Amino acid sequence: MSELTFEIAQKELEQIVERLERGEAELDEAIALWERGEELLRFCLTRLETAEGRIEELAQRAASTAPLPPDAEPG
Amino acid sequence: MKVEPLLYGDKKVFTVAGFNRGVADWLARLPTIWIEGEVTELRRSPNWGSVFFTLKDPDDGACLPASIPRRTFDALKLNLVEGERIHVLGRPELFAAKGEFRLRALSLERFGLGEHLAAIERLKQTLSAEGLFDASRKRSLPRFPRRIGLVTGSDAAARRDVISTIQVRFPPARVLVAETLVQGPRAAAGIVEALEALSREPGIDVIVLTRGGGSFDDLLPFSDERVVRAVASCAVPVVSAVGHEQDTPLCDLAADVRASTPTAAGKLVVPDFEALRVELTRARSSLERCVRRTTERERERLARTRSALERGARATLARDHRRVTTLGERLRRGPVLLLERRRSAIERAEGRLTALSPRATLGRGYAIVRSADAVLRTTAGLSAGAAVEVELAEGSFGARVEDVRE
Repeated sequence: MSELTFEIAQKELEQIVERLERGEAELDEAIALWERGEELLRFCLTRLETAEGRIEELAQRAASTAPLPPDAEPG
Repeated sequence: MKVEPLLYGDKKVFTVAGFNRGVADWLARLPTIWIEGEVTELRRSPNWGSVFFTLKDPDDGACLPASIPRRTFDALKLNLVEGERIHVLGRPELFAAKGEFRLRALSLERFGLGEHLAAIERLKQTLSAEGLFDASRKRSLPRFPRRIGLVTGSDAAARRDVISTIQVRFPPARVLVAETLVQGPRAAAGIVEALEALSREPGIDVIVLTRGGGSFDDLLPFSDERVVRAVASCAVPVVSAVGHEQDTPLCDLAADVRASTPTAAGKLVVPDFEALRVELTRARSSLERCVRRTTERERERLARTRSALERGARATLARDHRRVTTLGERLRRGPVLLLERRRSAIERAEGRLTALSPRATLGRGYAIVRSADAVLRTTAGLSAGAAVEVELAEGSFGARVEDVRE
């Protein structure tokens, strides 16, 4: 079984939401779907937060270093 | 004087003296003519009535013994030296006492300017016809000769000019000098030998042949056929700088490059060191500028790419964030709606249930009569005195049947 990725989680969450919105599910099943949906939502949000943190970190590092330091040029 | 033979039977026999005299007489009838050749083996003694010398053909070395009356010779004041070319006016003669054949000269002249010019012109035509002076034969000079050969006279100013020009202009240059006679009858052979010796030296990439200005006669060796051919066939390119600007000895035409002066020749065979240094310095800084410009451009491009990368990452993140948030809202709304729908369905069912319940009928004043737990819908089977149960909307009671009507 492959590891859960953001994309897979998001896709499954979408399917769950659509199913709930059509209102076809049995009540017990609907509750179970909701639970699963919340779980997936948490996973996705965590992933997004992690990504955001990485982006900020990289952007800060980029701002403090030039792509090529000037003293690396041939004298 | 008629020479008479002795007769032995029918055989005619001449005495030696008679034979010699006869040939001498016959030779004496030949006309007096001019003959051209080089003077060799010149012998003069105040004790002799004649001056003796040998005329030599410069082309194939054929020899002709000759004599001239000493008084005639001295009167000419020619100061002839060995190897000089002369024209001799004379006629053949047999020296009867010794049986020796020779040319008896009446007069002689040094080979004159006009004759020399004509001879040079003839040679020029011949060599030109052979293609010796063709522009297509000219080789270009090496830009950086490893060694430079210099054919020159031993104390020539020309030699000094060439060497000092080369050394000032290009200090690392190496010059190998081959000294030779540069005028007089032996000069041509010497120049040829020097050229050949230099071209055998390792690393010689160009040869300068030079001589300062001089008289027409002085420059004659440089138009000598041997020298001209040696220059044309030399293994390395030859620069000729002979005489002054206006002189054009034939070696100038055969050389790969002609220089107007020895100094000009020096400039031709080496590059200008200082100019070279300036050129190299300029090339290096131009190279450096190019590299810096390229680096700068690449750096800017990288920076742009990186900010695009960051923007892209942020945009992707924002999009995913919106999607997930929307999904979350929809997820939570879904079950609530579901429950709402279920609840109202149940309420509707409850209402219908209530409406259909018999209790509502009882409420309107109806009663349910049961006999032995069965609801009575007919009087059949019922008799007076039978016990029944009556149920009202509120409470119930037992009763007895009074009478039964059909």
